[in-house]
Amino acid sequence: MSFLRAFKYRRKDTAVHRLDPRSKFLLSTILMAVSIVFTDIRVLLALVFGQIILLSLAESLREWLSSLRGLLFFFAVIFATQLLFGGTLYTGFILSLRLLALSSSMSWFFLSSTPEDIGRAMSVAGLPIELTFSFTMAIRFIPVIYDEFQSIYDTQRSRGLELEKGGFRNRIRNLMPVLIPLLVGTIRRTYEIADAMEVRAFGASPKRTTFKPLRLKSGDYLVCAASAILVALAAYLKLLGIE
Amino acid sequence: MVKIVVESLYFRYPEASDYALRNISFRIVEGESVAILGENGAGKTTLAKNLNGLLKPTEGSVKIDGVDTRNLSVAKIARKIGFVNHNPEHQFFAEKVEDEVRFGLRNFGFSEEAADKTIREVLNVFGLEEYRGKNPFQLSGGEKKRLAIASIMAWRPEALIVDEPTIGMDYAQKLNIRRVLRSIVSEGRCVIVITHDVDFAASICERAIILSRGEVIGDGRLRDLLSDDTLVEKASLRKPFLIELEKETGLTGLEEDFDAISSTLVEVFQKCRS
Ligand SMILES: Nc1ncnc2c1ncn2[C@@H]1O[C@H](COP(=O)(O)OP(=O)(O)O)[C@@H](O)[C@H]1O
Ligand SMILES: [Mg+2]
Repeated sequence: MSFLRAFKYRRKDTAVHRLDPRSKFLLSTILMAVSIVFTDIRVLLALVFGQIILLSLAESLREWLSSLRGLLFFFAVIFATQLLFGGTLYTGFILSLRLLALSSSMSWFFLSSTPEDIGRAMSVAGLPIELTFSFTMAIRFIPVIYDEFQSIYDTQRSRGLELEKGGFRNRIRNLMPVLIPLLVGTIRRTYEIADAMEVRAFGASPKRTTFKPLRLKSGDYLVCAASAILVALAAYLKLLGIE
Repeated sequence: MVKIVVESLYFRYPEASDYALRNISFRIVEGESVAILGENGAGKTTLAKNLNGLLKPTEGSVKIDGVDTRNLSVAKIARKIGFVNHNPEHQFFAEKVEDEVRFGLRNFGFSEEAADKTIREVLNVFGLEEYRGKNPFQLSGGEKKRLAIASIMAWRPEALIVDEPTIGMDYAQKLNIRRVLRSIVSEGRCVIVITHDVDFAASICERAIILSRGEVIGDGRLRDLLSDDTLVEKASLRKPFLIELEKETGLTGLEEDFDAISSTLVEVFQKCRS
């Protein structure tokens, strides 16, 4: 789970954090696409290097580094499958590098954008508010539900529950004392939130105003320009025959 | 009987930058009743989880009967030291009250016969026998709390840690829980009450350990500690009403008659008003 830390928003005040989520999303998507279409080691290294610069601008290198330990597991899987199914150490390395470039391109985006920002970018893109609101709420409540899970698990362990014990069927059965209280709590919370939203007139008027309207600033134009150049550069490299 | 020895305990949560507990040392011996007091976020729950092995010290050690908790499973410790979570709803999953109690007994290898007998006894002691077949989630707040304690006391641990037993409880419910905890103390079992309700703590515990920002700032007789103005202020607590009253009047043992005293006081105040 520790690699998930690379995607958890941290409140910071940096140039990257201040960017409009839409332009960040654009750049992140393009970086992702480029990582997927190239296997050339120079391109992939350049991608990783460029994102390290982005991450350090966002003062998030530490989070990214600590998540690498979690990625090690996936690297191991890649190498193992490559060696098993006729690949070489080199292809294993290239694929790992690509995974690193891919995950970094999402990492800096999620590390520097609040769930609200992402939700707003989605609704500006034309998605209905019910959907984007559910999305931001879901992200918001992941840590809350995780804390609750921890507390429930601790409580049941204090009553002698041992999840690691017994065969497969036993282990599944042993999950019930943890899952049921978690489910009951979550469903109950859902109703409470629905009530809280209703008393504050969510959905009462079809037209919503925005407290903080999204606005593109000079940095965003820079990012968009960089994205365009990146696309052009990628196309040019492909024309040169670089895979 | 159980003995808990804490030596130079430091604890830090894996993702936190700062220690939640710093340089904590104390020992708790058989039959002691101890209140762990302190403001919100002082580290009381973290300390409790270190005592029953849910968390292991970052530095220093916690020993149960001479064995380091790092070498013991949570289940092993739980058999000796019960822990009641502050939120009973974090433990209910069975359809019936009796099965909620049965869960722990099964985990600790009680035979079905022994379990049946124990369930009957414990529900009786905790005043829950009429709810035996009811769904735990449908009980009142006070009953849920008592069921949570009952489901742990069922296997007769030698010590019991209760986290925030009075949270969200009304006065009558508090009295009930106090009665239950006091009867456990009177059996010679060790009871550790985590709370910031000083009156409640004073009516159960002889000893207090006061935590503030992860450090022990007082450890000793509860009455002495809670008479110390600077200490009480530093821990964001307040002096227990009854102890104050006893001091002012020179009387002793007032807490035995707590109910009588509070209703008498209400009358006195009403007379004064009119
Ligand atoms: N799971 C956790 N991860 C990180 N920090 C935590 C966690 N649980 C508690 N803390 C922190 O540890 C400190 C002590 O918390 P806690 O033991 O719950 O205090 P108390 O029970 O006295 O209110 C607080 O600063 C809290 O924010
Ligand atoms: Mg607590």
